[in-house]
Amino acid sequence: MKKHKQSSPGNLEEINIGRRKFLKCSAFLGGSAMLAGQLGLAKSLMQKAASGELTSVEAYALARAENIIYSVCLQCHTDCPIKAKLLKGVLVKIDGPAYSPQSMLQQVKYSTSPFDASKIDGKVCPKGQAGVQSLYDPYRIVKVLKRSGPRGSNQWQTIPFNQAIDEIIQGGYLFKNVKGEEKRYVTGLKEIRAVRNGKVMNTLADDAKKVARKQMSLAAFKNRHAAHLGKLIDPDHPDLGPLNNRFVFLAGRIEHGRKEFSQRWLNNAFGSVNWYEHVAICEQSHHVAYKMATNKYSNGKWSGGKDNLKPDALNSRFIIFFGTGAFEANFGPPPMAEKITEGIVSGRLKIAVIDPRFSKTAAKASMWIPIRPGTDAALALGMIRWIIENKRYDAGFLTNANKAAAAADGEPSWSTAAWLVRIEKNGTPGRYLRASDLAMGDDDTFVAYKDGKAIPVKPYSRNNPSEGELQVDTTIRNIRVKSAFQLLWESASSKSIEEWANICGTDPDMIKTLAKTFTSYGKQAVVEFYRGAVKHTNGYYNAQALISLNLLVGNPDWKGGLSAGGGHWHESGGKPGNPFNLKSMHPDMPGSFGLKLSREKTGYEETTLFKGYPAKRPFYPLSSNLYQEVLPSANAGYPYPVKAVFIHKGTPGFSVPAAQNQLNVLADVNAVPLLFACDIVIGESSMYADYIFPDLSVWERWGTPHVTPDVQTRTSKIRQPIVAPMTGTVKVFDERIPLCMEAVMLSIAEKLDLPGYGKNGLGENWDFTRMEDFYLKMAANIAFGDKADAAVPEVDEKEMKLFLRSRRRLTKSIFDSRRWEKAVGSDKWRQTVYVLNRGGRYEDFNRAYEGKYLRHKFAGVFSLYAEPVAAAKQSMTGRPFSGIALFESIQDSLGRPVNQAGYDLHLITYKDILGGQSRTLPNDYWMSEIMPENYVLMNSKDADRLGISDEELVKVVSKSNPRGEWDLRNGRKIPVQGRAKVVEGIRPGTVAVSWHFGHWAYGSADVVLNGQTIPGDSRRRKGLCPNVVLLTDPFLKDVCMTDPVGGSASFYDTHVKLIKV
Amino acid sequence: MVSEYRLIRMQKDLARSLKKPAAKRSWIMLIDVDKCIGCRACQVSCKAENVSPPGVTYRVVKEVEDGEYPNVNRIFMPTNCQQCDNPPCIKGLPEDAYTKREDGILVFHYEKMKGEKIFKKVQSQCPYTAVYRDTGAFYTANTPELEPYETRICYEYGKEWVRKGAGLSPIGAVRKCHFCLHRLESEMLPACVSTCVGGAMYFGDKNDSQSLVNELQKKRQTLRINESEGTEPRVIYLTGTIASVSVCAKCHG
Repeated sequence: MKKHKQSSPGNLEEINIGRRKFLKCSAFLGGSAMLAGQLGLAKSLMQKAASGELTSVEAYALARAENIIYSVCLQCHTDCPIKAKLLKGVLVKIDGPAYSPQSMLQQVKYSTSPFDASKIDGKVCPKGQAGVQSLYDPYRIVKVLKRSGPRGSNQWQTIPFNQAIDEIIQGGYLFKNVKGEEKRYVTGLKEIRAVRNGKVMNTLADDAKKVARKQMSLAAFKNRHAAHLGKLIDPDHPDLGPLNNRFVFLAGRIEHGRKEFSQRWLNNAFGSVNWYEHVAICEQSHHVAYKMATNKYSNGKWSGGKDNLKPDALNSRFIIFFGTGAFEANFGPPPMAEKITEGIVSGRLKIAVIDPRFSKTAAKASMWIPIRPGTDAALALGMIRWIIENKRYDAGFLTNANKAAAAADGEPSWSTAAWLVRIEKNGTPGRYLRASDLAMGDDDTFVAYKDGKAIPVKPYSRNNPSEGELQVDTTIRNIRVKSAFQLLWESASSKSIEEWANICGTDPDMIKTLAKTFTSYGKQAVVEFYRGAVKHTNGYYNAQALISLNLLVGNPDWKGGLSAGGGHWHESGGKPGNPFNLKSMHPDMPGSFGLKLSREKTGYEETTLFKGYPAKRPFYPLSSNLYQEVLPSANAGYPYPVKAVFIHKGTPGFSVPAAQNQLNVLADVNAVPLLFACDIVIGESSMYADYIFPDLSVWERWGTPHVTPDVQTRTSKIRQPIVAPMTGTVKVFDERIPLCMEAVMLSIAEKLDLPGYGKNGLGENWDFTRMEDFYLKMAANIAFGDKADAAVPEVDEKEMKLFLRSRRRLTKSIFDSRRWEKAVGSDKWRQTVYVLNRGGRYEDFNRAYEGKYLRHKFAGVFSLYAEPVAAAKQSMTGRPFSGIALFESIQDSLGRPVNQAGYDLHLITYKDILGGQSRTLPNDYWMSEIMPENYVLMNSKDADRLGISDEELVKVVSKSNPRGEWDLRNGRKIPVQGRAKVVEGIRPGTVAVSWHFGHWAYGSADVVLNGQTIPGDSRRRKGLCPNVVLLTDPFLKDVCMTDPVGGSASFYDTHVKLIKV
Repeated sequence: MVSEYRLIRMQKDLARSLKKPAAKRSWIMLIDVDKCIGCRACQVSCKAENVSPPGVTYRVVKEVEDGEYPNVNRIFMPTNCQQCDNPPCIKGLPEDAYTKREDGILVFHYEKMKGEKIFKKVQSQCPYTAVYRDTGAFYTANTPELEPYETRICYEYGKEWVRKGAGLSPIGAVRKCHFCLHRLESEMLPACVSTCVGGAMYFGDKNDSQSLVNELQKKRQTLRINESEGTEPRVIYLTGTIASVSVCAKCHG
């Protein structure tokens, strides 16, 4: 690897275009170069127009292919493809591409010429349309900022990029100018990166694992690794890993593309395990439940499950939405909504909505059932009870115990409903019975029961069909067993339908009607759910109960049934057709090991930290990305303290429930000694950073976001630069590149001499000195496809010219066709351009279905009973989790009920379609003009009872936050207050507040920059964000409550009071 | 579902009609109230397409809640200039201030439609609250940067307008929906139609018997707003599946 050159600090970032005077802080006056140029164009065209020379097509520049670049939105994670229209290099209009199945119910053929596609606009939601305003946000930052006051004081100094990187790497007395920090020494990344060698890392990792498994004594470990003990976090607990783990990358909505880029950098090159994204505050229990239901069994292990399945809404006849819909959030309105509306209006489809709030989706439903929040499993189990009692389930589907049996019935998938589960002496269900337990087969053969006999079940056998009885409760060879289906029946029949209805706060007849309707459409009925059902401490079990309903009607893989989606071509490579296997293109990779800060994917019992119950803090053996746990765990020093945190595209201090706990850590230099951020604005969390690096927005950069399973055709989307970067230009590896997350990582890689970067960084003759070296290889993998001979065509000359012409306004720092060509090799360039010219690769619509079936099938086994869940324990109580769906009441980390007496209203949150994350409402002015603030939505009965009138200002308080305020730890306190909106469309006793308002940073607050105050925008301060009143765990006292199985942060378990202001 | 997707079918309808002389076309817009999901993509798309400033919104989606818990309904009602064949808004205006085109679109000539007085007159005469005055405001006026999307060229009525600097300016003028005439002439559907997330928007030629808009009018219950006033609007609402005509009639009887 090449030795890095010492470039002098601050020599380059000044050269970029000067439109962003904001953080150059020199002036706010006068038009920029770009504006002047644009006016010049206007004039010449107008002269032409005035003399009548223009044809209509000429006059309307936005109809021309040369003014269009296809890319991908990220105003929400639906990641709709976009057709970006440019005038003189300015993004002026965003529409939906004709190529995209998310924008068109039937996309045009992929082979359609971009010249023909230019006139066809498809769908984009309002957030996507308003992307123009997120890109051209006047509060975007373009230069590196270093705080010049205490954390959170919003006092900043611009500093050269190289200085910032050097300080972060070298550490030192970096804030000696800040009062109180004169003597605070900050450890730099260089020192944190204790283990640098892959061989050392691997040996330590292997032996640490042996110590944890008690296969090696601690003394033997210490003896063997005496030279390296000082590089470990704690030599007495080698399984915590090396000191490298004390550097944390805490990302929020990071996506494929950047995910792989940053994991390679942190996990594989720097050597820390602590890479996070925000999934636990998003939908994690939904994902964990689907994974547990769809895991494949291989070599004694269940793994590789899919995290998201969805109705094939284009053909469904009945869909029940639990705690979600198709018209506001979810995945997402552009792909889903028209399938629903078209179905309802044509008479094909009916929908039911289970939501305490009468959502926009409920407005089109034939049934709206506003249950008590968090009781979804009770409703589902009531339905399951009725369905089983009335034999309305698909017995054919459920009795098939393996592939061969399913195939004989024309079923692509099957389930474990008939598989037998061992019942332990205390009556608890344990693992699945194996043929080996009965001495009738091996460990990987399961058992069903039929006609009084045990039947061996080889799950994937194509030739030996196994079927079993559904309701089995018997003893075989002295082993007590029950079928998975029987366990589900016992869970469902543990209460009467009346009792289930009571828990949900609904009518038993409603449950029966819903169950009857659901079982009246064969396989074209689907239960769909998302956050509303799972962001509770019982989220996983709710999800599992809802998935069980889908299995009862046997809907997987059927047209109109449950779909695993069309999938994507693999951009990371590794498939036969892919030219670049990016995972293996990492010479001398150091790698990483150890327990993650959030104690996830590992059982407490499997670590050297095990000391009986309760654990000091919970472990999450079945979940991952426990975003809410990262900062509080660092602060508690359990399992270890940290030295440095890099926050990126996420805002723990704002978006996590009980957010005060997160803010307290961000503001504390002792808890997080070095905090740096990469952000497009000064956000609610990045305002606490020591350094902020400006990032490129999604319209200026790369990404390969994956497609929702709502789409039935194979889809690989490519996000690519549309406009010239607004951030400054910096020099890294002798290349001029825009300031962004990748620039920070590449520069740190260069200066730390991390293996896998620089000349030959991706292997012999494959340099890694620019981000395109990585991302374009992903694009090439997509272009060449997974199978051999599956490449897209090469572009012709006309299309190649179009490719260059449409990028004519991009600066060299982001677009250099020769450099791009080099990144993939000339032999792959024309195919790569073909996919770039279309914004990705899209299978044609006629590949969606195959007779009665979806063409892209899951075609595997569904676990009705989740063996890995049953095998894991709740780390605070030592009790095993349940393998079968059940209803559990809301509990704290110790498994105790939570007393919220005196707080009479149950608070839920939701997203309006105008709002996604911070970059949408209220910061996009087209949308905040429509919806200037949010409300506390309440039923008229509650309003009357409390004497609150419509539009009246109220404050929201809870047991955890009786003052109802955010303490910004900088002297400012923000009350959680907003206007009441009195409606009929919400369950009495419930109040709802939409997410996206209540900002105190993100352009809403005054900031001091180089001594000058830049006033915030009052439009951006409107409304309220209730996250800070959500419950803090009563035992841990420093983090929100969490689902111990699924890992979801609890968003909807808090009761509040409204106080008139 | 229909064999050919709504947007593709209408794209073809449009191309066919554009082959005829303008006088033979008769543009109409259909809005399916049952399919409107109240997302307001149309509203934002319209603003971006036509560079309309704060306070000017050609397309508005109104929302009402009806009923009492738990029997609730929410109705979303997109509205815009109805391109009336007997437009009440233009009564008493100078004849050179507007053109009622043969294809049905009512064109406002911005240069002749400037000033508070003419705006008040047009506004008071329009029963659809569909007209706005461009007061010269910008969304990013009092921020660190006036952003370029606010000062870019806009193509309304096939001309080129800019809201800052030299050239034709719509500032001061009365502005309203024109069915995206500039897009139609380029063989593109109006921005609110192509972006409609719920698939509620339809557009086409009433004189074309093969058009999707004609097919739908025959299939569905239809409603025109303020029909009794004889305005002859070219925007037709489809209903009857979820929001019955009687619900609509509560406000538009």
